[in-house]
Amino acid sequence: MIRHIRITALSLLFAVSATTVQAAESINVSAWGGFFEETLAAEIYPGFTEETGIEVNSIAQPTSSAWMTQLMAAARAKKAPTDISLVADEVLYRGNAAGLWAKLDTSKLPNTKELKEGYVKLDDDGKAFGVGALAFYTTFVTNTDYSKEAPTSWAELWEDKWDKKLGIVTNPNSGLIEATAKTFFGGYEVMQTREGLEKVIAKIAELKPQVSLWYRDEGQFQQALEAGELNAGLYYHDVAMLSIWDGKPIASNFPKEGGIVSDASWVVTRDSKKIESTEKFINYMSKPETQALMARKLGIFPIVPRDSMDLTDEEFSAVGSEIEAVKTQTEIHLREGDWLESKFQEMIAQ
Amino acid sequence: MNLFVPRVLGMTAFGILCVFFLVPLAFMVVVSFYKADPMAFYQETFTWENYQKFFSGFYLNVTLRTLWTTALGAVLVVILAFTAMLAIAELSRKWQLFWILVLLSLMCLSEVIVGFSWLILLSESAGIPRLLGALGFWDNPRSLSPSFGAMMIGLVMLGFSVVSLILYPQVAGRDKSIEEAAQTLGTAPHLVTLYVTLPIFMQTLIALTLTMFVYLLGVFVMPIMLGRPRDWTMTVMISDKALGDANLPLGSALAVIMLIITGVILLISLLASRKRTA
Repeated sequence: MIRHIRITALSLLFAVSATTVQAAESINVSAWGGFFEETLAAEIYPGFTEETGIEVNSIAQPTSSAWMTQLMAAARAKKAPTDISLVADEVLYRGNAAGLWAKLDTSKLPNTKELKEGYVKLDDDGKAFGVGALAFYTTFVTNTDYSKEAPTSWAELWEDKWDKKLGIVTNPNSGLIEATAKTFFGGYEVMQTREGLEKVIAKIAELKPQVSLWYRDEGQFQQALEAGELNAGLYYHDVAMLSIWDGKPIASNFPKEGGIVSDASWVVTRDSKKIESTEKFINYMSKPETQALMARKLGIFPIVPRDSMDLTDEEFSAVGSEIEAVKTQTEIHLREGDWLESKFQEMIAQ
Repeated sequence: MNLFVPRVLGMTAFGILCVFFLVPLAFMVVVSFYKADPMAFYQETFTWENYQKFFSGFYLNVTLRTLWTTALGAVLVVILAFTAMLAIAELSRKWQLFWILVLLSLMCLSEVIVGFSWLILLSESAGIPRLLGALGFWDNPRSLSPSFGAMMIGLVMLGFSVVSLILYPQVAGRDKSIEEAAQTLGTAPHLVTLYVTLPIFMQTLIALTLTMFVYLLGVFVMPIMLGRPRDWTMTVMISDKALGDANLPLGSALAVIMLIITGVILLISLLASRKRTA
């Protein structure tokens, strides 16, 4: 008898806890760890929860490719470590080809009409496998204690004036290849062939004697630049702006050939059980108001037309520039992936 | 009957080894024969392609410098730790205890912390170069990292406390009468270490060098934090391929090759040292 009561009590308790869990629905959203993920969780997601009642568990994820490897392993086990991820273009397309992303119904994403053209990534059946989240600039950053004058062209990276203290990204996807092609070879056309790419890489190799740090960790670059260990280099505009507002002797410069712009997209994990909530999330993030808020709080470049937002001139020029940007040529990076990565790595490490 | 418990424990340990070590290893070997797909992930078709890439020149080159770097690091660690322990063993009990505690606390530091501290110590804005500049020994102080030397310091730092702590009981508890006898028979004091103490410990030192060699082969943080690109070891290349480019097949193939090379080197060294003692 006593046992029977206990079981009833337990099942009751279980039923109660199950309903409370259901009442507060939640989704897992992952973004690049560090400042990015922390700011999204603190400043952007609460607005979504307020509007929809859906809680967001924010997850810090490693760089896109490493994250894709982890998602791949999880997909084999039919698990979804996160419902939504923020990924770079290359991972967006590779993950789609590998069947990692869920297909979304665009009729559930009305706000994506506000996005600039091309940011809703559709498959052949007209379903969305990814939706643009934000764009970010990589610029020519300098330490103003060393270099008072702002560089006006990417070509100045090659000039012998940085006291052998340049910091450059190790990854071939940084946009340096594109900036070099645009600056010295008249455009991206040269990147169409392997011979052309080899020429561009050879040009980048000329930087080697000037480069004291080939970095893969942003933190290491930023610390070295702020301390004056580095005089200039390639770095993310948004984080550089934070340093500047913090009073550090740094400038983020847009050369006349343009800053390098890269896109990031939201993707939903194929095995996610909460597709509907994820669609609401993506819909919320595509609103011009959310985009403007992200520009203010994160320093990212919004992907909705400027006139749909209430950003002031000052706010807008803090996150980007009117100069036509250097565009990452994702198709070429995908097509030549392994070959290009090996060539670039060999150039650096030989 | 009494053997039941140890047997169960033994089988459990073996089971854990199989599940957490042998299965992933087998998976790695299988993946190394898959075809990488830069547009997606990989295709499960058999290919030698990944292994052929190893012999393309670049990876061979990196392998050679990896072996050289780790061998040098291992030898330096053992020499430094051995001489340090000889010196510490001569101190009073109290001071010996002090140094052992220092070494133990060194072991608590993670690779990243050690790497980062050296990064600061070798930087021109806060470290040794600045000090030398301020004292007037260096006109134009420059950061000493990244460099081969900085990376080597990092590697030695990682292995030093481990090797020292392994050597300490043997060095401190050794029978000193042999060394005393050698001195009585007329060997100069500074030669005793070289001709008497060193041969006694030779076997242990070789074993420790080999252990350190294998240990340092897998170190990842020091080369990328303190080394220049041309100092990067195979560990860095493997992680670049497997994680950075999501090219798991090539990463796996490189890892399998490193495993084979390490195995062969260890086997040869073991055979050689056995022959010497025979």
